[in-house]
Amino acid sequence: MARDWTRRDVLKMGKGALVAAGLLSLYPLTRYLGSREDAVASPIISFKGELKKGAPWQNIPQTRVWLRRVSGGYQAILATCTHLGCEVRYYPEQREWRCPCHGSVYDEDGRPIRGPAPLPLPRVAVQPAGNGSLRIDTSRKLN
Amino acid sequence: MSQKRGFLNHIRPHGVSEKAMSFGYTFCLGGVSFLAFIVLGLTGILLMFHYLPGAKSGYASVTTLASVIPFGGLIRNLHFWAGQVMVVSVSLHMVRVVRTKSYRPPKEWNWLVGMSLLVLTLVLDFTGYLLRGSQESGAAAAVAVHILTLLPGIGRPLAQMFLGEVSAANSSTLMVYVWHCVALPFLALWLQMFHFWKIRKDGGVRPL
Ligand code: HEM
Ligand code: FES
Repeated sequence: MARDWTRRDVLKMGKGALVAAGLLSLYPLTRYLGSREDAVASPIISFKGELKKGAPWQNIPQTRVWLRRVSGGYQAILATCTHLGCEVRYYPEQREWRCPCHGSVYDEDGRPIRGPAPLPLPRVAVQPAGNGSLRIDTSRKLN
Repeated sequence: MSQKRGFLNHIRPHGVSEKAMSFGYTFCLGGVSFLAFIVLGLTGILLMFHYLPGAKSGYASVTTLASVIPFGGLIRNLHFWAGQVMVVSVSLHMVRVVRTKSYRPPKEWNWLVGMSLLVLTLVLDFTGYLLRGSQESGAAAAVAVHILTLLPGIGRPLAQMFLGEVSAANSSTLMVYVWHCVALPFLALWLQMFHFWKIRKDGGVRPL
C-alpha cells in the first residue's frame, strides 16, 4: 500500500495535469474561435405585415428596425442610441424614445431632447418590394 | 559556480542558496506577477480575435464578446482580473524588495528594471481600460490627455504618441490598441526575461 513519492512522481503528475488541462480547453477554444456571432449580418431586412397610417412606430422582431407609415409613404428608424449604442425603445404614450443606459430621450421623430445623445436616431432607406412587403436597407443611412 | 553566461543556463542554474529558497523571503510575489502576465498574454491574444478598436466598434465588440460569443465572457473576465491581480502583486513585490533591502548593490539594476516593469504594468492596465471604449474610458482618456499636456513642451507630443486622437467620445484609438496589445507587452516580456536572468546573476531567489 505504502508508496514512496519521489520528486519525479510528483512532477509527472503535474505534467499529466497540464496535458489534461490543455485537452479540456480545446472545446471552449474551438467554440470561441469558431464563433460567427459577430459576423456582419446582411443589411437587408424585409417586413411583411400591416402598418396603419398614423399608428405609432412598430418594431420588426429580432431587429433594431422600427417602422411607421406617414402620408408620403413609409419611414424606418434604427433603435440604436447615438450616445454609446444601447438599444432604445419607443414609448407610444409619451411619444418618446428612451435609452436605458444613460437616460437619453428622443422625441417622436428621433431628435435628441435630453441626456448625452448628440445626434438624432438614424433613419434608413425603406421601399415597397412589390410582393406586398417592405425592404429595409440598414446600410443606407438617410441622415 | 558555472561561468556560462547564457540565458537558459541561468534559468536552470546548478545551485541556489538555501536562504534564497525560503518562501517567506519572497512570498513568490514576482512569480505571481509573471503567472498573471502569461494569463494576460494568452487571454489577450484570444480577445484580439474578436476585438475591433474604434469609436463605433470598440465598445460594441467588447459587448458582443462578453455577451454572445461562446466563452467570450470567461476570457474577458480572466483578462480583466489577471490585470488587476498583476497590479496588486507587482506593487506588493516592490514592497517586499524594500523590506528585504534587496535594492542594494549588486541588485541595483534589477531595482531599476523592476521600477520600469511597475510603470509598464500600470500603463498596460490603463490602456486596457481605454480599449473598453465605455463612457468612463472616454472620461479617463480625457483626464490622461489633460494631465500629460500639463508637461511643458513635451506633453502634447507624448499624448499624441501614446494615445492618438483620444477624446471623451472615443478612447479606443488605433494608437492605444497597438501600444496595449503589441508594443508594451513585448517590451514588458523582454524586461522580465532580463529581470529573471539578472536575478540568477545576482545570487538568485527561489527558482520558478
Ligand atoms: C500581454 C499581452 C496583452 C494583450 C494582447 C492584451 C489585449 C487586450 C485587449 C484586446 C483588450 C480589449 C478587450 C477588453 O476590453 O476586454 C484588453 C483589455 C484590457 N487589458 Fe489587456 N492585453 C495584454 C496585457 C495586459 C496587461 C499586462 C494588463 C494589466 C496589467 C492588461 C489589462 C487590461 C485591462 C484592465 C483591460 C480592460 C478589460 C475589460 O474592460 O474587461 N492587459 N487587453
Ligand atoms: S447609450 Fe444611450 S444614453 Fe448612453
